[in-house]
Amino acid sequence: MTDAPAAVEPLLELRDITASYGTIEVLHGVDLVVPPGSVVALLGPNGAGKTTTLSVAAGLLAPTSGGVYMAGRDVSGVKPDELARKRVVTIPEGKGIFPNLTVKENLLMASYTGVSVDHIERVAFERFPRLGERSSQVAGTLSGGEQQMLAMARGLAVEPAILLLDELSMGLAPLIVEELYGIVSHIAKSGTSILVVEQFARAVLGVADTAAVMVNGRIRAVGKPSEIENDLSAAYLGA
Amino acid sequence: MDKFLQFTVLGLSQAAIFAIAASGLVVTYSTSGIFNFAHGAFGMMAAFTYWQVHVAWDVPTWPAFFLVVFIIAPLFGAFIERVIMRGIEDAPEVVKIVVTVSLMVALLFLAIAIWPQDVAHPVGALVEGGQLEIAGVILPNQRLMIIGVAIAVAIGLWLLLKATRLGVAMRAVVDDRSLLQLNGGRPARTAMMSWAIGAGLAAISGVLLAAEQPPSAITLTFLVVNAYAAAVVGRLRSLPGAFLGAVILGLAVSYTAAYLPSDASIGSFSLSGLPRAVPAIMLFIVIVAQPEARLRAHTTIRTRVVGVPTQRTAAIGALVLVLGTAAIGSMIAGPDLPLVSKALWFGLITVSLVPLTGYAGQVSLAQLTFTGIGALAMAEWGANGSPFAVMLSIGLCALVGAVVALPALRLTGIYLALATASFAIFCTWMVFSQSSLLVGGTVSVPPLSIFGWTADTQFKQLMVTAVAFAIIANILVLLRRSAWGRRLTAMRDSPVACATLGLNLTSTKVGVFALSAAIAGSAGAIAGRSFVSDDFGLTPSLQVTMLAVVGGVGSIGGALLGGLLLGMFPIGSSVFAANAIGVFRFVTVPVTKVITIMPGFMGIGMGRNPDGAASDIARSYRSLIESVPASVVTAIAFAILWISARLEYISNWDFFAGVLVILLAVMPLIGSILPPPGVQVAGRRLAAGLWLVFALLITAVLPWETLVESNGFRILLMLVWAGVVASIAVGVHGAVDLEALGLGTDTAAEIESPDLMGFGTEITRADAQLAARAIGLDGELDRPDTGSTAVTHARSGVEVGST
Repeated sequence: MTDAPAAVEPLLELRDITASYGTIEVLHGVDLVVPPGSVVALLGPNGAGKTTTLSVAAGLLAPTSGGVYMAGRDVSGVKPDELARKRVVTIPEGKGIFPNLTVKENLLMASYTGVSVDHIERVAFERFPRLGERSSQVAGTLSGGEQQMLAMARGLAVEPAILLLDELSMGLAPLIVEELYGIVSHIAKSGTSILVVEQFARAVLGVADTAAVMVNGRIRAVGKPSEIENDLSAAYLGA
Repeated sequence: MDKFLQFTVLGLSQAAIFAIAASGLVVTYSTSGIFNFAHGAFGMMAAFTYWQVHVAWDVPTWPAFFLVVFIIAPLFGAFIERVIMRGIEDAPEVVKIVVTVSLMVALLFLAIAIWPQDVAHPVGALVEGGQLEIAGVILPNQRLMIIGVAIAVAIGLWLLLKATRLGVAMRAVVDDRSLLQLNGGRPARTAMMSWAIGAGLAAISGVLLAAEQPPSAITLTFLVVNAYAAAVVGRLRSLPGAFLGAVILGLAVSYTAAYLPSDASIGSFSLSGLPRAVPAIMLFIVIVAQPEARLRAHTTIRTRVVGVPTQRTAAIGALVLVLGTAAIGSMIAGPDLPLVSKALWFGLITVSLVPLTGYAGQVSLAQLTFTGIGALAMAEWGANGSPFAVMLSIGLCALVGAVVALPALRLTGIYLALATASFAIFCTWMVFSQSSLLVGGTVSVPPLSIFGWTADTQFKQLMVTAVAFAIIANILVLLRRSAWGRRLTAMRDSPVACATLGLNLTSTKVGVFALSAAIAGSAGAIAGRSFVSDDFGLTPSLQVTMLAVVGGVGSIGGALLGGLLLGMFPIGSSVFAANAIGVFRFVTVPVTKVITIMPGFMGIGMGRNPDGAASDIARSYRSLIESVPASVVTAIAFAILWISARLEYISNWDFFAGVLVILLAVMPLIGSILPPPGVQVAGRRLAAGLWLVFALLITAVLPWETLVESNGFRILLMLVWAGVVASIAVGVHGAVDLEALGLGTDTAAEIESPDLMGFGTEITRADAQLAARAIGLDGELDRPDTGSTAVTHARSGVEVGST
């Protein structure tokens, strides 16, 4: 995956994706490009199709037409566990952890990617000492911020090629959100391509190289965070 | 003191077996979300397989044990997961229950077919019969070995689930299936492993039980079922809980057997069945002590909407049923009449599940228990067959139903099903074994007698059953169309929404349970024949629930179909009594045995079609119902056939063949030949119509009786013939809409259950009032606006879970 031929080749590319739940089409032709080592923020109001786009990229939902390409290879229809074993890490919205497993057991589950458990635990506990203190605590009893850290630790330790993040800031205090986005930025610097979905947080604009605004199942605008401010306001106001 | 210690050891060794079985159940349930009712049957099958390998094929004890427990049983479990369970993981709870119950019944009868009950299958002890003696207490090696195995299982499972990635993944599946996938885990493979392990544990317990006493299929299955009580102590998820439950259960059973005098009684009520009822009592108590199930929002139920017939349709249907029964009944000779009568009678019991399961989405596995109570009450109070005694018996059943429902109220799905099953087992040992109630194990229900008219012949009894069914069906349609009926459906679709609308879930549930028990009880009260205690056991109750759901419990027609199917099996057995099917040259299975296995497999097939068979059949015949000319012609064809048979122009077998051809070839197709006026249909309609008339004439004059000697193959030939007639008609016609007949691909749109309560959309005051009126709460919401939102508080005291 990491042996992409040239820097211009995007690591993750969605081409003209349409996707539906049952008979209801929710994505009507989405094009999105995530270049290597960059952070792309996908923004938009509730129901715009952001999470669906992420699900398609993660392999959880097969597109009805169009294609998902990773490092130039067509991976549409590849199962999520296959993608995960190729170091495509997805942290879904508000539930990136197994609440009835302990912290250690949660980290053990990240080892399907081929990374050794020892390495995962060392990286996780180094970056988040609080998780180390609670390594045998059941994850469901951690605070919201600690749970999100545990989820992020997985993304950090596996050294993913592609990281897909959904609503990282959901229900968390601003300070913690800032800390988490610091880590996102750190991961990006190591060469990982990151797609972040957010509804409200402006914090993401600080770390994103590119932002895309999504409305009603279509990408409305793409550009540098500073360029899309107007589109963003329009999207939320429904104009 | 010696006695106490002796029975403690005995109890602990029993506990060890329960613990192994219960832990297997916990492993499968907690990793796949499916409660495997067939767990006991898995153990039973393993015990017989062990007998086959060890005794019949002479493989030494331990190699045979390892072959069965570590290879055959796990492969079987994995196979079951792959073929059956994977398809129903997201199915409604009712379907999960029915499919695993069906698997249990199928395996039970399969075992009886392979290893006949009239031959003993002793497997012998696993270890040489030595014993240890410590302080005067005798510890047989066999018992010590069993306890040792249980401890090994406990340690092994603990290590697996805590210290291996596979085990942790098995627990992770329960938490979040798709997250495990996003981590790179493979939930399907994990589930398969857990079923393999579960089956292996069932096998250990089955073989250990068989080593204690020669196995009998039914006894062994239900011995393992006892372990379900232990599993429930751990809320079906905790292994230590299951082991604790097993110890309590094992000791309770052992001490009851030791210290209860064999002639213990309360008045004339004998307590001799108590030791065997202990697990059922414990199961019931433990279930009732469960913390309340949280109501969950956002459980969308995808169902094909079953149409509710109008009162007029229901009345006409009832009339057709009564007249049709009279017509068929008058033609059938004496000895076959009770069988037909019984088939319709089963329909009465399956229809009792329509309000409970079909409308309200609750499961009961004890319908025949209520039937039995109705029968006993009638035998006790209505020796003269008075309708008053019938009403009294029905009332008693309603009362018992309500009493059983009351503590079980807070339960849903699997726990409710288990509670009713434990009630059925309890009644088997404590009520239906009372020699004062069932003299010599039989009870004779007097025939109904109204104003001097007594149902004293088989034909009259058949008509009583038909009329009773007609009345009950009409009452059910009336109820379904009432506010109360809509309330039941609303409760099934979204308990949370109902609670937030201020609907009292408690009284609604108790009411529907009482109604269901009353209907099942009425079948007992009007039966007019004698029963043996086995007729009211758990196994026949399981079959009733199973076939009601197979037929389609959402509609009265579907439930009736299920009952008729159940009643057909004895008819089939009597018709096919002499036939056998050769599977291989050296294996011949009597048809009667195949027939006993069939219901189970039909239930398993349910996983593929959760709406039941009736909705498919209804779809096939819809074109007929919509076209008046078509239905008139069909009715005339039936009438001619019947009159010809009555006047003996044609034989009864010709009549039967003619009916089959009409049912299978004419009725599905005639809508395309005689469309409703004004509807254009393509195709060679005249030619197809002429072919059908011609084929019907041939059918009526063919000498079926002399053509084939055996009854069974004659019916088989008739079915093939009807199929040939239909295929030719389709070919001649050339433009039949096969999809409309349910033969092509299924294009019928699935409809998401209606958003009655306005969940997911903004709810306005007008919407709320509309929704409330639909379930009969209008008075409370039509009060003048006091400024607050009308529907915000849950009054029934249920805890509304967060989403």
